Amino acid sequence: MAQGTYLRLLVFFLGPAVLIYSLFSIYPLLDTIFNAFYSRQSDGSYLWNGLGNFQTLLFDPTWSGPFWNALKNNFIFFLIHMCVQNPIGLLLAALLSLPRLRFRATYRTLIFMPTMLSVVVIGFAWQLILSPLWGVAKMFLGFFGLGFLFAPWLGVESSALITVSLISVWQFVGIPMILIYTALLAIPDELIDAATVDGLNQVQAFIWVKLPLIWPTIGLVSILTFVNNFNAFDLIYAMKGALAGPNFATDIMGTLFYRTFFGNQLQLGDPSMGSAIATMMLLIILIGVMAYLFLVQRRIQRYSF
Amino acid sequence: MRKPLSAFMVHAILGLYTLLALFPIVLVVMNSFKAKRAIFNTPLRPPLPSNFDPIGYARVFDDSSLAFYYLNSITVTVGTIFFTLLFGAMAAWALTEYKFRWNTLLALFLSIGIMVPIRLGSVAIIQLVAELNLINTLTALILVYTAQNLPLAIFILSEFIAQIPKDLREAARCDGLSEYNIFFHIILPLIRPAMATVAVFTMIPVWNDLWFPLLLAPAGGKQTITLGVQQFLGQYITDWNAVLAALSTAIVPVLLLYVIFSRQLIRGLTSGAVK
Amino acid sequence: MAEVRIENLKKSFGAVEVLKDIDLHVEDGSFVVLVGPSGCGKSTLLRSIAGLEPVTDGTITIGGRKVNDLAPAQREIAMVFQSYALYPHMDVAANMGFGLKFAGTPKAEIEARVGEAARILQLEPLLKRRPRELSGGQRQRVAIGRAIVRKPQVFLFDEPLSNLDAALRINTRVEIAKLHKLLAATIVYVTHDQVEAMTLADKIVVMNHGRIEQQGKPLELYYKPANLFVAGFIGSPAMNFFPGTVTPDGIDLGADGMLAVPLPAAGLGCKVTLGIRPEHMRIAGDEGGGPRLAAVVELVERLGETGYVHLRLPSGTVAIAEIRGDTGLRTGDHAAVALDPAHLHLFGPDGRRIS
Repeated sequence: MAQGTYLRLLVFFLGPAVLIYSLFSIYPLLDTIFNAFYSRQSDGSYLWNGLGNFQTLLFDPTWSGPFWNALKNNFIFFLIHMCVQNPIGLLLAALLSLPRLRFRATYRTLIFMPTMLSVVVIGFAWQLILSPLWGVAKMFLGFFGLGFLFAPWLGVESSALITVSLISVWQFVGIPMILIYTALLAIPDELIDAATVDGLNQVQAFIWVKLPLIWPTIGLVSILTFVNNFNAFDLIYAMKGALAGPNFATDIMGTLFYRTFFGNQLQLGDPSMGSAIATMMLLIILIGVMAYLFLVQRRIQRYSF
Repeated sequence: MRKPLSAFMVHAILGLYTLLALFPIVLVVMNSFKAKRAIFNTPLRPPLPSNFDPIGYARVFDDSSLAFYYLNSITVTVGTIFFTLLFGAMAAWALTEYKFRWNTLLALFLSIGIMVPIRLGSVAIIQLVAELNLINTLTALILVYTAQNLPLAIFILSEFIAQIPKDLREAARCDGLSEYNIFFHIILPLIRPAMATVAVFTMIPVWNDLWFPLLLAPAGGKQTITLGVQQFLGQYITDWNAVLAALSTAIVPVLLLYVIFSRQLIRGLTSGAVK
Repeated sequence: MAEVRIENLKKSFGAVEVLKDIDLHVEDGSFVVLVGPSGCGKSTLLRSIAGLEPVTDGTITIGGRKVNDLAPAQREIAMVFQSYALYPHMDVAANMGFGLKFAGTPKAEIEARVGEAARILQLEPLLKRRPRELSGGQRQRVAIGRAIVRKPQVFLFDEPLSNLDAALRINTRVEIAKLHKLLAATIVYVTHDQVEAMTLADKIVVMNHGRIEQQGKPLELYYKPANLFVAGFIGSPAMNFFPGTVTPDGIDLGADGMLAVPLPAAGLGCKVTLGIRPEHMRIAGDEGGGPRLAAVVELVERLGETGYVHLRLPSGTVAIAEIRGDTGLRTGDHAAVALDPAHLHLFGPDGRRIS
């Protein structure tokens, strides 16, 4: 094939995708990182500030307070997902993959439904349910004699973050469930038969045979959770607005970024600091992914089929 | 096998969680049809002739802009899917079929987008969109979403294209077809299942996204239904009928689509994530 | 080692009956092969013995103990699976000792047993390797080793050679036969390959559609098949069949002629099927009488010294006869085929053997 035609072909097929991707995905990312090294002056111009923005972010009390708060909250958010969402997903997947289970497809479809819904819907629906005005949650607890436990969790500083995290878990359990379920299906039946003949019951077979074989998937689920959690914004914004109240108790990196960049009733928008926060988010996610690839991935190699 | 987990327990656990998953949804939809007093006094009772009251829906549909928002969402979603599939398939084809010098590098470059969240570049995206005069347009959303979904689409489609037997392509070339013809008339029809999967996989997050509509098209009648509902909720926050009705109108179409396409969606999720 | 008794075994999957009234006795130390076409129920029967499948009715006894309600691990059986079913995340030694670990066997004894099995199967250099680093034949030996380590009452083999290539299959077959003698083991072995059945078995059980068609010593089944199915299944190439009617002069094969043979106990006019194996047919010269058929040569296959000639008879039926040496036959030649009267089989209209 002639060189000229070859080139034309490549440009035709690859051009549009690469163009749109580079323009709207890569360039903005690089630009944001670049922006983080500048600071906005009072006259609207930008001056090179080196690592100044980052220093401010990390150490200047006005900025570092919210920053470390948001970071801490984000970690709690992530931890709750890892400790609640993924084990539940694992349990459900393990049950769904049992042989000869009736209604398997129905369960799968229904349990996955919340993931389909918009965050706006979920956020608001739960706000209604947990609202002391409506009292549905209180009524429900009342059925079990636990009515006294009810509190306006969403509005209380100490419990708001956990509540929002659990709602997010409720929405997204379907994803680890499906991924782990698929991995479990890939395990040959004969292997389970061999374990049965070797004398293992269902639970033992799961722990000693199935679980080691799905480590790669569990690893994948973990890193996906990490990336998604540190990128999260929608649910908290939908439920608590940009201020992530009460008193920033539900503030995470995403909401901090949004608020910083666009400003709100408390402060003017600051694109440079916003960029700095975005760069920090990127850094954290990259560190997480790198750590995963180097530490976890290598060990998991040993378990591949 | 000895079963410490009897069938009863298994179904109990699964059933319990299913109820937990469905309960909020059912509650919202049920109560959207009830009169205000009934909502508060007997929230758990299903809508009966005695407490039936679709007034919420009247208010929702009164606010005629919501119908527009639906249209906007549809336009953005369909547009995104179209361009993602078209450009994605083209790029996937070129990357799989043509061995040129920067093939691997380019593939790597494109796959960065799978892991790295595009939202972090929002600052620059807003500036770019503003410069292109595309604020408050659906075009901006389509472009951004396409950029966001291309990497994964290319990845999934590449895998699929790689499975098409080489002989097929060689035979077509021997028959004298041009590369463009081969792509559009032979390859595209063959990867239809993968494209359906990618379409379904892309559809839901785009439809449900709040961030970019909020940033790029928050006014001028170009809101998506997700943003529209969010704004509506903010406006009518004390009007429970309207609020519940709005939520229900946002829920039901998505759920219907989901139930119809659930198999493809699950296949898409699994093939995309197993890297 | 122990004997296995199966009485009145029935198994259904919902409305479908997959095992119909099975009666089988496996003597202590014997090698019994369950053979039959796909779907005949042989694997289901094996898995029922193992306890991996529940049964609908009947009893299974191992070593005098009724095991119907016992879990596989409690039945003192060991199974070798078709795809070996080795645990990918454990090395060979761990694979072999896995079951013992869960039975609470002390570590020293596990090591001893694993070592012994490894010695018998020449697996010692492989003990630290993972299954994915082994060849098919090696994996198979590990699977057998895992079974040996359990010191079971009965060994169950589920088509263990199906996944091996032809040469390896023959070697491993010999190994399994030797193992049987060495361990004096009771073995129940499932295969669809009748050559494996013939060479390995003390007793062959031919199954079809969930029923036992015939069980007995290999040569018994070869020389005296009880029905059409067994006759056609055992022996390769398969027995030739000719439909005919009993007449006073012999068996009337219609267009293929009349065969003067001693008349069977069946009545005149009875519809029968005549069977004869390719090995018992000869291309006749002019010597001797005896039943003959006239045919046209369709194809000659030479495998070396032996060969097979495909013959088309006037009725259109194609028969295969074994030949030795160069008969000089070519496609299109006319030939007379002599049938060895001592090895003629006659089957009634119901398919069963007529003596």
